[in-house]
Amino acid sequence: MRSLADLEVGESAYIAQVSENTYTCKLLNLGLLPNTKVTLVRKAPFGGAYYIKLGNHQLAVRIEEAATISIESL
Amino acid sequence: MDNKTKTIAFIGNPNSGKSSLFNHFTGLRQDVSNFPGVTVEKKTAIIHLAETTLVRLIDFPGTYSFFPNSTEERIVVEALVDPNSPFRPDLVVYIADITQLERHLLLATQIRDLGIPMIFVANMIDIAQENSQTIDTSILEKYLQVPVIMTSVRKNIGLDTLKLSMFGAILQSQSSPTPLYVLNPEASKVSNDIRKEINIDNDYHAKLLAHHASWLPNLAEGLRTQIQNSISNNDFSDIKQQVQEIMSRFETIVPVSKSVIISQQQERASWTDRIDNVITHRFWGPIIFFTLMLLVFQAIYSLASVPMDLIEAGFANAGQWFGEMLPDHWVSNLLIDGVWAGLGGVLVFVPQIAILFFMVGFLEESGYMSRAVFMFDNVMRRFGMNGRSMVSLISSAACAIPAIMATRTISNQRERLITIMVSPLISCSARLPVYAVLVGLIVPDTKVWGIFSAPALAFMGLYLLGIVGALISSLIIKPFIKETSGSFLMMELPNYKPPMWQNLFIGVRDKVMAFILGAGKIIMIISIILWFLASYGPSSDMRNASDKAQSYISSHPQENPEAILASYRLEASYMGMLGKAIEPAIKPIGFDWKIGIALITSFAAREVFVGTMATIYSVGDTDDESTLRQKLSSATNLETGDKTYTFATVMSLLVFYVFAMQCMSTLAVTKRETGTWRWPIIQFLYMSVMAYVGSFIVFQLCQ
Repeated sequence: MRSLADLEVGESAYIAQVSENTYTCKLLNLGLLPNTKVTLVRKAPFGGAYYIKLGNHQLAVRIEEAATISIESL
Repeated sequence: MDNKTKTIAFIGNPNSGKSSLFNHFTGLRQDVSNFPGVTVEKKTAIIHLAETTLVRLIDFPGTYSFFPNSTEERIVVEALVDPNSPFRPDLVVYIADITQLERHLLLATQIRDLGIPMIFVANMIDIAQENSQTIDTSILEKYLQVPVIMTSVRKNIGLDTLKLSMFGAILQSQSSPTPLYVLNPEASKVSNDIRKEINIDNDYHAKLLAHHASWLPNLAEGLRTQIQNSISNNDFSDIKQQVQEIMSRFETIVPVSKSVIISQQQERASWTDRIDNVITHRFWGPIIFFTLMLLVFQAIYSLASVPMDLIEAGFANAGQWFGEMLPDHWVSNLLIDGVWAGLGGVLVFVPQIAILFFMVGFLEESGYMSRAVFMFDNVMRRFGMNGRSMVSLISSAACAIPAIMATRTISNQRERLITIMVSPLISCSARLPVYAVLVGLIVPDTKVWGIFSAPALAFMGLYLLGIVGALISSLIIKPFIKETSGSFLMMELPNYKPPMWQNLFIGVRDKVMAFILGAGKIIMIISIILWFLASYGPSSDMRNASDKAQSYISSHPQENPEAILASYRLEASYMGMLGKAIEPAIKPIGFDWKIGIALITSFAAREVFVGTMATIYSVGDTDDESTLRQKLSSATNLETGDKTYTFATVMSLLVFYVFAMQCMSTLAVTKRETGTWRWPIIQFLYMSVMAYVGSFIVFQLCQ
């Protein structure tokens, strides 16, 4: 299954599941809930992080944080 | 304040407009301190809700949920969950950004399930209206079973209604609403166990005690052990329980918020999207960042110089005036040269602090800062720091003091400490006068390749040496600082908005007061000690020095008698004795006792080096740099007849000033910001070792 870390720039997907670890709650708090539509807007200039958009707000996440979120194609 | 004064807590997610609302109600009547045991700002204020009703307001740090990821977020949990917390509020004013209702409802549902009386503030209603969104608060009121009030601080909507509602809420008790989240079987068992041990009437409260028993500071040890036993007996898994609870809460939150706020328009590219296309662009983003930082640096550097000169001159002139008015007595000397000069030494930093925090506050409030963190996260992580560290490191080029104070926004403790520890290695403005005198001694004022001025290149080399030193130090320090909170980036990139001026000004005032009250005391004490050491010595030696000075003056009538006397007295003072005492230690790096004295007095502030050298070499006018430079270049060693300021000695001295921690004010701020003496001591030691070793290598190579 693909994860949020595998998204291409400009690609959107639905969040399928967030794996359980110490910062899962934080990801959920930030709105990364199952069945939410997420778009990868751009990658950080020096790599390592993604700029993602969810509905009407946007987040920055590290690639390894994004890898804990599995996605389903639209 | 008596016991009847009720406490109202302002709680909400980050970026909910919570602090703006708090500032609106309190204005400048805020009392700023730290929450006990942590460097997290606690703002409180006593205000009148009605003529005879005083209440205490507390602004809590922005928090996402009762499952915290940082020290800041733990504060709310401690205040609301710890049965013995001194900050337990009588009423929670919960502030939510109505345009982000879904996420901002989570903590609200958790707080109301605790049974603490609450008012729900649907803030930023103006933005929702601009976006043609319609809001039905009755659905929200029914769901939460607490009063809901729509506000906008910016447009002054609903603020009086909120005040009235707060007044009403503290007069009558709210009935506890039925919980929105029902505990699952494992959690229920643990909750029952806990409720047998401690008198609380709420299952959810007991569940939170189970989640946080390991760290809540005011829990009785016996209770802590019993809770932990119950957790392991009942298979209560902390993370599983957290995730299950949050998911279950969102199951009702998502449909409710969709029916509360209805958008008329289709989603379109917002202003924020359009700005971010440029500002976080892979090429333009970093360029814009460095341009902005250059502006910040330039502003601190140039805008601060006029008020700083005024403060310095004002204190010097007033000191002189006091000197003429007061009798020549040790008490008046202590007051003028010790206390008064020390006070000037504290206040002289205020312009730089104010300007930096105004600009940083602007970038933070507008939403830009989180973009900078996003862009530079990967680079700074390699050095154990954070995107926000960039701001501190760059402002250190003006002054390390505001830079270290600015690290508070770094939530990861380890990244913050590393930033604090290495910031003073970046060459600050106080090193410039020292560099100017020393570079002039060894670098001729010529052009290199016809375009670059040689002294300018030398200056650049010194700055680069400081930057490289800071980065290498961060790599060395990194493994020695324990990771406590886990490093993560995930964060909101809030929509851009114009900053609220009131917030900016209150922020600047808080930082200035924190510096004066927190670090000022330490700086005062050290400057009094330095004054004492430089003004007094064994009485026979001091008398001897005066006699020698008198006979020298009578045989050299063309020289400045006051300067000669000062030079002899400084040599005979305790400071002079100290300088001579450390001479064996600094000889291997090419310094004599005269430089030794200047190194010690520099501790007041690095630029004091120039003044001390001027006194030692009896140059009357300390502003005259070229006279001092002439004196230094012609100075010779009396025993060997060699020049004192050889190329090797000056190089060694330059390297020493790049690396050495010779700034008591920075150490005082590090103490204040880290809360212990441990870090300033380590900072002093490691930078001194670096300076000594660096100077030793350079001196031996150049000789």
